[in-house]
Amino acid sequence: MNSVNPAITPEGALPDNVPQDRVFDIDLFKLDQVEDGYQEAMMKLQKPEIPSIIWTPRNGGHWIVTRAQAVQEVLQNPDPFSSQVIVLPKEAGEKYDFIPTRLDPPEHKAYRKVINNVLDPRQMRNIEDSVRQTSIDLIEAFAAKGKCDFTTEYAEQFPVRVFMAMVDLPLSDAPILMEFAGQILRPAGTTPAEMAVSLERAIKGFYDYLDPILNERRGKDGDDMISRIINSEINGEPMIHSEALNIIANLLLAGLDTVVSFLSFVMIFLGRNPDHVKQLRDDPSMIPRAAEELLRRFPIVADARMVARDTEYEGVTLKKGDMIQVPTVYSGLDESLNDDPWTVDFHRRRPLHNTFGDGPHRCAGMHLARMEIAITLKEWIARIPEFRLGSNAKPEYASGMVATVKCVPLEWDV
Amino acid sequence: MITIQVLTRDGADVSVQGEEGTSLMEALRDGGIDELLAQCGGQCSCATCHVVVDPAFASNLPSMSDDEDDLLDSSDHRQPTSRLSCQIPVTPELNGIRVAVAAEG
Repeated sequence: MNSVNPAITPEGALPDNVPQDRVFDIDLFKLDQVEDGYQEAMMKLQKPEIPSIIWTPRNGGHWIVTRAQAVQEVLQNPDPFSSQVIVLPKEAGEKYDFIPTRLDPPEHKAYRKVINNVLDPRQMRNIEDSVRQTSIDLIEAFAAKGKCDFTTEYAEQFPVRVFMAMVDLPLSDAPILMEFAGQILRPAGTTPAEMAVSLERAIKGFYDYLDPILNERRGKDGDDMISRIINSEINGEPMIHSEALNIIANLLLAGLDTVVSFLSFVMIFLGRNPDHVKQLRDDPSMIPRAAEELLRRFPIVADARMVARDTEYEGVTLKKGDMIQVPTVYSGLDESLNDDPWTVDFHRRRPLHNTFGDGPHRCAGMHLARMEIAITLKEWIARIPEFRLGSNAKPEYASGMVATVKCVPLEWDV
Repeated sequence: MITIQVLTRDGADVSVQGEEGTSLMEALRDGGIDELLAQCGGQCSCATCHVVVDPAFASNLPSMSDDEDDLLDSSDHRQPTSRLSCQIPVTPELNGIRVAVAAEG
């Protein structure tokens, strides 16, 4: 049903400020041709004849920016591109109250500092050895078998185990928390109202789960992330309970879904490209920079901003309250930012991207994500130096605020 | 070309040439200073291109963004004249600048 051709919309259905020639029929949750690959499907909207900002009537109606420059401008300018609502459809997004992601500067800064303190590079160095051991244990469990289902046996295990250890929660609770995260990022339902119900239920699920845990850890000296956040100060005042809930739910949402998905994209690529694996095998010191190139090539996040006041932008009038989706895929794969953007080149001089976003809300977990990606590549290749995508592999892609891919069978000779 | 004097982690003095319009990080990497990882490729987002600038040259450098300041704060080896080299454009005023590659971490 989706089309990159201008959509035919029912009479009167378009808001007054949306010119007909900006209208395209794009359903972000049911992307046309997503079965061929998420980035490939999204990039069909980045071409000379398609404007840098377009409108889709789907999911409550929203704008989409389609170029690197526009992605950066929207993310770097909280005025007028506010984080008051960042989830689509807007009717569902208005239920989303996690912080700091839904705060604008200057309020945002004090909360951001609290999460930076638990996720900065120094903290990552402190946990690196245990993260590495987690990766090694998972890989060694199947290395001798000659095959694995990468998604279920590694990608859905590794970042989740790491994260549950960081927040000191039992691994057995991970499935329900991942289900909540999925219902926020890709809510069930066919209408904005139905999706709002799914999303609100998932948020309540997070809060009901976390409430007693926060009460138990407040005032104690635990050094897990939850304890450190609940016992920190905001502008010199003790963190209030409801805000701690908002922040910790935000961390769970971000920590349980994104790297899980990204790693599967990476292993599909490496399983199909033995020459790239050989480069990393021959010179493992390349791995951190190779990881950055893979981040550039496989962006998966596409959240949104809300227009805070009427604004002229790229030839259209944005009305206060309009939503703009900001798919990060339009940055790293834009040839105005990177030459030959579809080619994975581990020697690329400057792999520019916004896979971690931009501006005040740039991913606070980026140091953790980079470490998890680099550790995975290094420990995998050390134990499984050559591997391939299973011959009958049929990766299943899904789009949303975070794109996913599942069914990634890998094989190797033993 | 602009000449940059580099003190590596193992104490070697190395001279590299930087082209105007590139960043100090790029000049160092192009000059073969591979120990400067610069993982993120110059996007001020990883802190692995940390250098300590000779105080005599520190005032010639552009001021620091909040992002750069935060990232440097997470280093165990921050000095008063620490900078992320990806945030320093190579300009004629830098000719003869001395920088030390900061310890890892």
